[in-house]
Amino acid sequence: MSTEEEIKYDKSLLNKESYIGEFNITKEMIDSFCKSTEETNPLFTNEEHGGIIAPPTLCNIFMSKVTRPDIKIEFGDGTFFAGQALDNINPIKPGDKLTVNTRLKEVFAKTGRSGKMVFEVWETKFANQDGLITTLVRESFVHRKRS
Amino acid sequence: MILDLHTHSTLSDDSRASVEQYIKWITVLRRKGYNIDGFVLTEHRQFNFDIDYTEISKNNNVTILKGAELDTNSGHFLVYGITKKIAKHIKFNDVNMNANQLIDLCLNNGAIAIPAHPGRFGIGFTEYVNEDNFKSINIVEHLNGSYRPGEQDRTEKLISDKGYLGIGGSDAHMVSAIGTCLTKFDDVINTEEELVQALIRKKFKPIKLEDTK
Repeated sequence: MSTEEEIKYDKSLLNKESYIGEFNITKEMIDSFCKSTEETNPLFTNEEHGGIIAPPTLCNIFMSKVTRPDIKIEFGDGTFFAGQALDNINPIKPGDKLTVNTRLKEVFAKTGRSGKMVFEVWETKFANQDGLITTLVRESFVHRKRS
Repeated sequence: MILDLHTHSTLSDDSRASVEQYIKWITVLRRKGYNIDGFVLTEHRQFNFDIDYTEISKNNNVTILKGAELDTNSGHFLVYGITKKIAKHIKFNDVNMNANQLIDLCLNNGAIAIPAHPGRFGIGFTEYVNEDNFKSINIVEHLNGSYRPGEQDRTEKLISDKGYLGIGGSDAHMVSAIGTCLTKFDDVINTEEELVQALIRKKFKPIKLEDTK
């Protein structure tokens, strides 16, 4: 029982990791991030609390470095950013060196009030110098027909 | 027995609420005097046979059952009573599956397919039903917790015109939304099979959270 029209895109990109780069985390970077976001939680600002860790959204400052190939999707005539979700798995600390990779996690269709939409989901992985994943950032882009 | 027949956990792409969080919220609602016995997880475009909520359900005295919400060529449908035999015939990620074939498949195999949020613009059953089709449908989701202005009115008109029975579900994608719309059954329901039987017996009615006090 299927009437599915296959979503056409470059499937060779699915789950293929692309290296983005390495980023050093400094205490000054965390301080500056806290200042700009008016973060006052002592976990992120007070070293007397057992050493500071980075706020959960710190990785966002590196997300602008993430470039993604065109997956050549054959659907719709418009694309928009549909949101971001972060999973914080291990803490990020001053002195950490984060290695960042990104991959196309999935492409799927759904229907909503505005009709059929195709979601393109990318997952960017931040891992520290010990190989521990600190953060997974999932970003979705929606392809749809304008009319 | 009072159940929320339409909820989504983190297994659905657009929900961030976990089953554990829903249970905690139901515990809070019970403390406030509301009466909810449990809920049915109707994840989008999927049904996972490997996930078993029996233990967490028993430990917390909250009935947790599984169904699915499927996209069809005639809007979204809530499907209860999915078995491995039925699942073999469903391509869950097909957003254009034939609704009539889905309804018949369920009817012939001890399951039931019910139009979800029928008044919803774009994907509601009201946009697809006419005088001649869907003659085997006699239940729709009457109360849905995610309606926008105008959509409940469309549902009321559909039910009035067609004489359908109605169920209620919150369509929760967030923790605090669970239980906003519910279904009250005359029967005790502990399994998906019992849920289907209770729906077939037509001994239920849709209610809102405030009606459970």
